[in-house]
Amino acid sequence: MIVFSNVSLIYPTSTKTILEDLSFKVSEGELVLVMGSTGSGKSSLLRLVNGLVPHHTGGILAGDISVNGISTREVKPGGLAHLVGIVGQNPLNGFVTDIVEEELAFGMETLNLPQDVMRKRVEEVLDLLSLAHLRNRSIATLSGGEQQRVAIGSALVMHPKILVLDEPTSALDPIAAEEVLSIVQRLVHDLGLTVIISEHKLERVIQFADRIIHIKGDGSTVIGTPQEVLKASDIAPPIIELARALNLPDISLSVRDMRRATERLRTELNEIEIPPPPAPPLTSEVVSVEKVSHSYGVSAAINNISLSIGAGEIVAIMGRNGAGKSSLLRAIAGVLKVNRGKISVCGIDPLTLHGAERTRTIGFIPQEPSDLLYGQSVIAECRAADKDNKIENGDTFALLEELVPGISPNTHPRDLSEGQRLALALSVVLSAKPKVLILDEPTRGLDYAAKHSLNATLRNFARKGCAVMVATHDVELVAELATRTIFIADGDIVADGPTIDVLLSSPAFAPQVAKIMSPAPWLTVKDVVAAIYTTR
Amino acid sequence: MNRVLHPLAWWIWAGSLAIAIAKASSILLAIITVGAVAIVVVKKSENAPWSKSFQWSLKIGMWIIAIRTITGVLIGVPTAGTKLFTIPQIPLPTWMPGIRIGGMVTSERLISTAHDGIMIAAIVALLGAAASLASPHRLLRSLPVMVYEFGVAVVIATSVLPQLVASSARIRQAQKLRGQDVRGLRGWRRLALPLLEDALARSLDLAAAMDSRGYGFSRKRSKYRPNVWRLSEYLICITALASLRWPILVLVAVAAALVAVPSQKNVAELNLVYS
Repeated sequence: MIVFSNVSLIYPTSTKTILEDLSFKVSEGELVLVMGSTGSGKSSLLRLVNGLVPHHTGGILAGDISVNGISTREVKPGGLAHLVGIVGQNPLNGFVTDIVEEELAFGMETLNLPQDVMRKRVEEVLDLLSLAHLRNRSIATLSGGEQQRVAIGSALVMHPKILVLDEPTSALDPIAAEEVLSIVQRLVHDLGLTVIISEHKLERVIQFADRIIHIKGDGSTVIGTPQEVLKASDIAPPIIELARALNLPDISLSVRDMRRATERLRTELNEIEIPPPPAPPLTSEVVSVEKVSHSYGVSAAINNISLSIGAGEIVAIMGRNGAGKSSLLRAIAGVLKVNRGKISVCGIDPLTLHGAERTRTIGFIPQEPSDLLYGQSVIAECRAADKDNKIENGDTFALLEELVPGISPNTHPRDLSEGQRLALALSVVLSAKPKVLILDEPTRGLDYAAKHSLNATLRNFARKGCAVMVATHDVELVAELATRTIFIADGDIVADGPTIDVLLSSPAFAPQVAKIMSPAPWLTVKDVVAAIYTTR
Repeated sequence: MNRVLHPLAWWIWAGSLAIAIAKASSILLAIITVGAVAIVVVKKSENAPWSKSFQWSLKIGMWIIAIRTITGVLIGVPTAGTKLFTIPQIPLPTWMPGIRIGGMVTSERLISTAHDGIMIAAIVALLGAAASLASPHRLLRSLPVMVYEFGVAVVIATSVLPQLVASSARIRQAQKLRGQDVRGLRGWRRLALPLLEDALARSLDLAAAMDSRGYGFSRKRSKYRPNVWRLSEYLICITALASLRWPILVLVAVAAALVAVPSQKNVAELNLVYS
């Protein structure tokens, strides 16, 4: 179906080789996962399939790619529209019309299909993706998971043979992500669709993948079955890390297989008495929220929420898309004036904070860390932060060096990888030494290595007696990082307690290790290893 | 079933009204027309991002009136008439006869400049009304494929602009949280760079998405839900075109739009009505 023969790719603006001498074949009905660290060229590989690279982006391509016998050299992306459906990283950016039904029809209209064919296919796809009840809705009002389904649907109406998905679940909560991925899997099995998918959160997809292409970042690639590739790869989801830590002979990809493989071990471990986790030490209150309510128009975003956060706590805030997480964080950060209730940070109303006093009290990392950056180079950015925060010249850059060593000071912030850009934003914010740090979805687009370093930075920061609040969908990050988890649904706090209690109480939000080791209360590979150590 | 009017019909309607009031050159008629059209916009526009265009055009209109009146009073040819007040005159070299800055302000001069300002503002408001009433995306789809490049540009502009407003608010907020003062020239520089990057990335994404869905590949396009001309379209267009001959008929054209056009309010949210 897809044949890459000796494909090499470089972009003229960079000296880095993206791909070198890559050859592989994908046959019909295969689901191929593309993995690699951020900036390694996953998106480029996906866009090569329908010729967006190099027709749309430029770049020097050697070798040949043929899709269903058609070489992408000879036709433009539009000429492959009936063969390849592609869904970009952020589907909202790719919508051309305003209403679900019209969006689904758009591609067929451009191909000049007759009206009766269009009507039939739209109905088919509405049913296939369970979108029928949303057909007349304005796309902007849909949730993230629904938008992703509309984007997949508008590719499917063209009856493509190949579906290309670029990080389809990175912005979704675990439940919406599962929904989207199970639909993809159904398409592969029921329609024999060929799917190429890239994803950072490997734990969500490896069990569906037939093969994995691992892009190493230096141009080389490894291709093979998930077991082969993951056994040796430096990028591994918790389930693989657990298998390695337990020295299991075979690697299992799903929770079910892993539970079977660890049956004996689990019964052994279950016999030991597990001491209850030590109660968190009482610390001085840093953030206090008292009976806060806020609504946009008729819908309530926050509903009479009270909470108190002490120094040294790392609090994860979880919940579905649109549950009110961002509103709560923005209220605490002092950019949202709430209708009712009282918020204080270090005893001060955050709305009254300005300038240097603000940066010394609250640090905020928005969903797009680049919103904070405006400098022309990394060093200019750091100098500006030094000046703004009235600290020693060079302190911010030193902090950045500590977080991620080896960033060239003259790089433009835009040319940094996702993880490096987050580190830069973090060092700009942390150089002011705030008492509270708030992060909104920090792990979007981060690979495991970047997540680990973020983890270490935040723990370090909390150890100095500061409070950290993180809104996230990433269960694995919460398991590794947070001391306390608050679960919000429809503007209400549904659960608030130690991370271990909250995560274990809901199967959908339990991390992989917890699902495997259940009922034992361990969230991470480290917990399991520590428990085994104490028994032997 | 709610249905939307053909977008071209709205543009013909608003364009004709604009020409008609410009021809009649009567402030009273212009103000009454804009007021009546405002009712049409409130009653008939969809709940969509572009529905705000009319409000924006009114704001722009206010600025036009203010700027036109001020410059008209300050700079220009002396007009005879009743003296209102005098402002200091700046002497100009003799090779610029007939033009002066400052000097005596007569009521005639004030009225004539304000009149011009109001006429321009009314025309802008009527075009803003058309932009509010007709979806730019639907308008684009009724244009021929021949204007492909133009079409891509329009789609990008119309969908990126509302997003740009949203991202600008988001970035301002982020900068404020970094302790920055976001006003003034320096504030603008700090806002502009991330904003431009954001807009550029979005536009490229959209262009790539349109390309890979075959936009402009086939010379012909079919229509999923053809925009047909029915009685209401003909009615508002004929009355509006007639007002080009007899300007007073603009009121009939506005009345026709109020009576004959079904509400477009819930076009995008029918399911809310049904559930």
